[in-house]
Amino acid sequence: MSTPLLTAQELGLRIENRTLLKGLTLSLNPGTFVAVTGPSGSGKTTLLRTLAGELEPAEGKVVNHLDCPTRLAMIFQDLQLADGATALTNVLGGSLGRHSFLSTLFRFPSDEREKALHLLAQFGLSGKSNQWTSTLSRGERQRVAACRTLLSQPQLLLADEPVSSLDPSLADEVLTHLSNSISGKNGCLVCALHNDEQVTKFADLVLRLDPSDPNGWKLEDLKPKEVA
Amino acid sequence: MKTELPWHSRFDLLGITFLLFLLGAIGALPSIEGSGRDLDYWGNLSRFTSQFFPPDWSILNRTLEGLLETVQIALVSTLLSIVISIVLSICAARTIAPLWLLWPTRMILNVIRTIPSLLWALLAVVIVGSNPLAGVIALTFYSVGYLAKFFSETFEAADTDAQQALRSLGASPLQAFQFGLWPNARPIIWSHCLWMLEYNVRSASIIGYVGAGGIGLHLKLYAESADSWNKFSLVLLCILVIVTVLDFTGEKIRQSIRDKLEGKKSN
Repeated sequence: MSTPLLTAQELGLRIENRTLLKGLTLSLNPGTFVAVTGPSGSGKTTLLRTLAGELEPAEGKVVNHLDCPTRLAMIFQDLQLADGATALTNVLGGSLGRHSFLSTLFRFPSDEREKALHLLAQFGLSGKSNQWTSTLSRGERQRVAACRTLLSQPQLLLADEPVSSLDPSLADEVLTHLSNSISGKNGCLVCALHNDEQVTKFADLVLRLDPSDPNGWKLEDLKPKEVA
Repeated sequence: MKTELPWHSRFDLLGITFLLFLLGAIGALPSIEGSGRDLDYWGNLSRFTSQFFPPDWSILNRTLEGLLETVQIALVSTLLSIVISIVLSICAARTIAPLWLLWPTRMILNVIRTIPSLLWALLAVVIVGSNPLAGVIALTFYSVGYLAKFFSETFEAADTDAQQALRSLGASPLQAFQFGLWPNARPIIWSHCLWMLEYNVRSASIIGYVGAGGIGLHLKLYAESADSWNKFSLVLLCILVIVTVLDFTGEKIRQSIRDKLEGKKSN
């Protein structure tokens, strides 16, 4: 069996004296699509941010087995885009970890620009590449944020409701792109989702959180044969 | 039963400041005195202003040359001050600079702002002589005091989410600033630059009074020579036109930036 990219051991999460989750043990293995579901307030975002290392767990620990920390990337629920920059520049931001300050001071390398434009085209945004992100719709901005994260070439991608503002067919398309991009690198995609159809269609593993009971989380293997 | 809040609870910081301003202004009235002589104010005013009309159009070409020099002084000094202010504002922004750099920079900016533009002009004339270069030096220093403060406040207020996201994706602090914070601050900074340019055209019209180049020298000559108020009024008219054009254009550009940032323009 392959080495997991990240493991959570006896993880407990708490926010402002409210315990969201207790005793979660989870291994994120290469080639897996993990869906995290649960109603609003059940702790999906807190879990993803803890896995990303942004928050300290209240109990247990998260162990990152990736050889380079930048191989872990996150698509934030609030997107965190630069509003006064074009969609293309925002996407190119994902490549900054590979380049020095001077090499991107005036212009990004042309191969990065090509990759960014290709990603924008894949996500149906080729006509919007030179528009300020402030002028894009929420769904378009969501796709720009996804492109930026993909350009950083992560092996472990944590996506916090990346398709919440998209219509079902576009959402399926985006999830397919995300899934293919990550599994192509033998990576793992962890995705907070609300839609059960999307969960059954894409996920190998689903973690269902219960807001009323911190111990009530369930981990279901949806594609046991394929995973095995 | 509904209970009313006590009367003093309505006074917030804004209310108290306004009240203090009002009391201060009323309190100052008794010390504002006229000459005490029985003067015909309206008569004096109408006699004086009647000398302004009609403006003397024979000096239009000479005035336009002076005006061009004024605009050139304003353009060069605004450009120089923008470059210097960007560097200084980064050193003066609480969210970017360390404390050991923050306070000395802010102190320097306070000192620069304390000196009025006319005094900067006098200093520059003393150092480099009576020429447009003195005007450029004076207005550059004067503008840096304001622009650097405006810029640093813009950096402090700008949304830092994108900057943090880029850091988490592996960008260096400088790269995260350039691609995360700067794009969010840039429209406001550009708007401040336009305002400064407008302001500098107005200031450049005055500093010529002390020999720092531009149309101010013409104003001084006409004001000091007898029966030249009609020439003086033409110069004022030309300044009015250029300031109005700049004000109108600046407002249009600022509005378009605001619209774009608020997402009103989605072509």
